[in-house]
Amino acid sequence: MEHEATTSRIGEDQLFYCAQRGISTEDAVSMIVNGFCKQVFHELPMEFAVEARKLMEVSLEGTVG
Amino acid sequence: MLEIKNLHVSVEGQEILKGIDLKIKPGELHAVMGPNGSGKSTFSQVLAGRDTYEITGGKVLYGGRNLLELSPEERSLEGVFLSFQYPVVIPGVNNTYFLQAAVNAQRKYRGEEEIDAVDFLALIKEKIKLVQLDESFLHRPVNEGFSGGEKKRNEILQMLTLEPKLAILDETDSGLDIDALKIVAEGIDSFRSPERSFLVITHYQRILNYIEPDRVHVLLDGRIVRSGGPDLAHELEQKGYGWIQYDNSAPGNGADA
Repeated sequence: MEHEATTSRIGEDQLFYCAQRGISTEDAVSMIVNGFCKQVFHELPMEFAVEARKLMEVSLEGTVG
Repeated sequence: MLEIKNLHVSVEGQEILKGIDLKIKPGELHAVMGPNGSGKSTFSQVLAGRDTYEITGGKVLYGGRNLLELSPEERSLEGVFLSFQYPVVIPGVNNTYFLQAAVNAQRKYRGEEEIDAVDFLALIKEKIKLVQLDESFLHRPVNEGFSGGEKKRNEILQMLTLEPKLAILDETDSGLDIDALKIVAEGIDSFRSPERSFLVITHYQRILNYIEPDRVHVLLDGRIVRSGGPDLAHELEQKGYGWIQYDNSAPGNGADA
């Protein structure tokens, strides 16, 4: 639970930072999630990384409004 | 440019700003100085639109419009820039990509064509020279692994690229060694123009040796207790904040000595 709380807190700061630079919430969320995933995928074997990236693009579309 | 009237702000029921009045004209640079806990950061965060603060009274006009009604994003797009005291790390997001997204959001808002990656890279390579950061910083994730001084220089890089009308610099000088301070101060000074206003929030006078303010305000316990010309900053440097605190300890002005 503590970890979740910390994660969401970091998310708020990041969203505010993006908003202060004029970036919309939708663009900011996709940017932050993509960035986070990119770092995680970096740890995965190549085949997984390609698949995961595709999946992420699909699942992010239309989730933020 | 910016007019603040009797601004009151609370956090979790506790009043932090207790009636701030401030007027900044186009082309002016004002410094707000105060010790830790005086409300400096609350002030800058509220102006940028952070929603963790409750505005309990007063008005903020920006170019004649009610600033407090605008979202943080709209404020930015309307030309308000905050240099963060603690710039935020965004893992995995390329610094250039981030800044290009910001520039394009602004262009879109103004009905201009977006800038492509090639042109943007050329632009940013020119700008980064002004803050004397290595080009390798363009390709690193936003603020990740940057030293304190590098983060502040990156904030100034963003400011120089986004070209705001009102720049609020929240302790941009803190944690900088003298070389980094000079670079940051020169970056700010070179950016001054008759149309652009600055609010420099700081604990220390030293940055004001490089960027001469038009006005200096002393923030103590949520109130501006004194305003004056550049000399006021020097006086504070010599005497500290205790002198003003003592000087203003009369009932009714709220500075607890």
